[in-house]
Amino acid sequence: MKSSAKSIELKTAKKKPFFTKHDIECTVMISPSIIGFFVFTLYPILWAISKSFNYYTGVDSQTMFVGLENFKNVFVSSDGYWTALGNSFLFTIGKLPIELPLALLLALIVSKKYPGFKSARIGLYFPTIISVTVVGLVFTNLFSYSGYINGILQKFGMLSEPIDFFAKKSTAMMILIIASVWQTFGINTIYFMVALSNVPEDVYESAKLDGAGPFVTFFKITLPLIAPVFATILLLAINGSLQTGDIVLNLTNGAPGGQTEVAQTYLLKKMVPGFASPSANIGAGCATAIINAFIYTGVAVIYKKISNKVVSYY
Amino acid sequence: MKIRKTISAIIMYLILAIALVIVFFPVVYMFVSSFKTNMEIMVGGTSFLPKVWSWDNYKYIMNSMEFPVPKLLWNSIWFTVISVFISTLSACLGGYVFERGHFKGQKIWFAIFTALMFVNFGGATIVPVMHIVSGLGLMGSLWGIVVQTFFGINIVSIYLVRGFIAGLPKEMDEAAAIDGCSFFGIFVHIIAPLLAPIVATLAMLGFQGTWNSYLGPMIYTMSDPSKGTLVSALFSLKSSGNAAANWNIMLAGSVIASIPVILIYIFGNKYFMSNLTAGAVKG
Repeated sequence: MKSSAKSIELKTAKKKPFFTKHDIECTVMISPSIIGFFVFTLYPILWAISKSFNYYTGVDSQTMFVGLENFKNVFVSSDGYWTALGNSFLFTIGKLPIELPLALLLALIVSKKYPGFKSARIGLYFPTIISVTVVGLVFTNLFSYSGYINGILQKFGMLSEPIDFFAKKSTAMMILIIASVWQTFGINTIYFMVALSNVPEDVYESAKLDGAGPFVTFFKITLPLIAPVFATILLLAINGSLQTGDIVLNLTNGAPGGQTEVAQTYLLKKMVPGFASPSANIGAGCATAIINAFIYTGVAVIYKKISNKVVSYY
Repeated sequence: MKIRKTISAIIMYLILAIALVIVFFPVVYMFVSSFKTNMEIMVGGTSFLPKVWSWDNYKYIMNSMEFPVPKLLWNSIWFTVISVFISTLSACLGGYVFERGHFKGQKIWFAIFTALMFVNFGGATIVPVMHIVSGLGLMGSLWGIVVQTFFGINIVSIYLVRGFIAGLPKEMDEAAAIDGCSFFGIFVHIIAPLLAPIVATLAMLGFQGTWNSYLGPMIYTMSDPSKGTLVSALFSLKSSGNAAANWNIMLAGSVIASIPVILIYIFGNKYFMSNLTAGAVKG
């Protein structure tokens, strides 16, 4: 009696092990990513969090626990973080009102079935595949003091003397925006094209029968119908522009005198070897990065709240 | 009515023509200027075309110290090919496991991998990762990045593959499973051969992304930029103090660094855009 109960127990235990063969097989197949999550994601994040409470310059023996000092300093000291973050917002506010309407206009055009428009799409997407390093190089050269753009503007009498674009914050920022729009508008054009292709054709036809002109059709029909997708495109664009660092690093690299530094490049230069000075307080950099991450998340959350309201209004 | 239509067509062609000129101008400028002397590039002026077309810049960089093209080109090629192979394979396995597998922890892992998309500690995690890589003895070469790619999580690619596999009929898997094929065997024999279109998309996007990456390769080969890639060496050259004296080298280098990506784009442009459209069409 006793032994049979035991054997039943064993049988059920054998039938249902905690991990089935399938569980193990699946886990093994994605094990590199799981190991990578612990080693290359979780550990570095915990490391950064722990270092943010320390004075740390890369030398372990000189590390000192300083509590919340690093976080406090972000708000108290004026070594450029808030200016850099402000520039990130400035860059976003300057870029998106140019890029998104431009992308939408071009998407409206290339969605039409005219000969050659399909090839035009391929052309418009072309800048996105070029390396940002190459883009930075070419635009630096084009807009340099004795460069081609200054030369042409003078030739046509639009300038009496060349502008030193990279010597003033306003013009340097302008070039960053121009180069960045040039490189990324193609992605948004394709996104908008997809959004437009999901608007049913008969809606347009009935609008036409009612005598709606192209502008009325656009504002009263197209825009409301693509509003939800537009909201997502805008979120991606805001997020992308706020986190921009590549184009700044490759084009102005902060010129003039660090005035066009953005949050991302500021953080790199605060702690990453090759950019930061060897004696930089990495702990302070980590604290700034954490605060920065919270601000980005906050922007996304606030945006989501507002956009939900706006979209539902439509 | 017909006149109005013609006018609007003309306006549309005009806008597109202007946009395309602006799109291609900087790239054409780069190609053309790479045949100029450094003096001509720096003073620029109003001449678009070089006074004399000369291959000197290219001849020079072929065996220069600042930008050793054969070495950098080889580095770019092996680094890109290996990275793309690894990341594509891992995305295919991940997409397959998350779509067709039903295993313990599936939901949690998928949620974690997705959440990572939104985590950005802007450089704070670069330092500890470098510590790990140097602990493995891989500092000063591109292998440090290859290792990170191998253990990396490319959730966007996993989503693309998962969506693609969801569209494949399940009957074949089931038949194979009844015949005694293992879960991994089904991937190798049934699913993998059908993944060609999505693999092409991932490989091309991966090629473009890896070939153009500069920050990682630059940081990991800082001690000797000639161990980096074409693009990272370009970045180092531009960041160095005497960049102004090297415009001809940098522009010729930019052309060489851009040609492979441009060629890939010319032949595979539909794959580049299909990843943007794929997700959206399904809603």
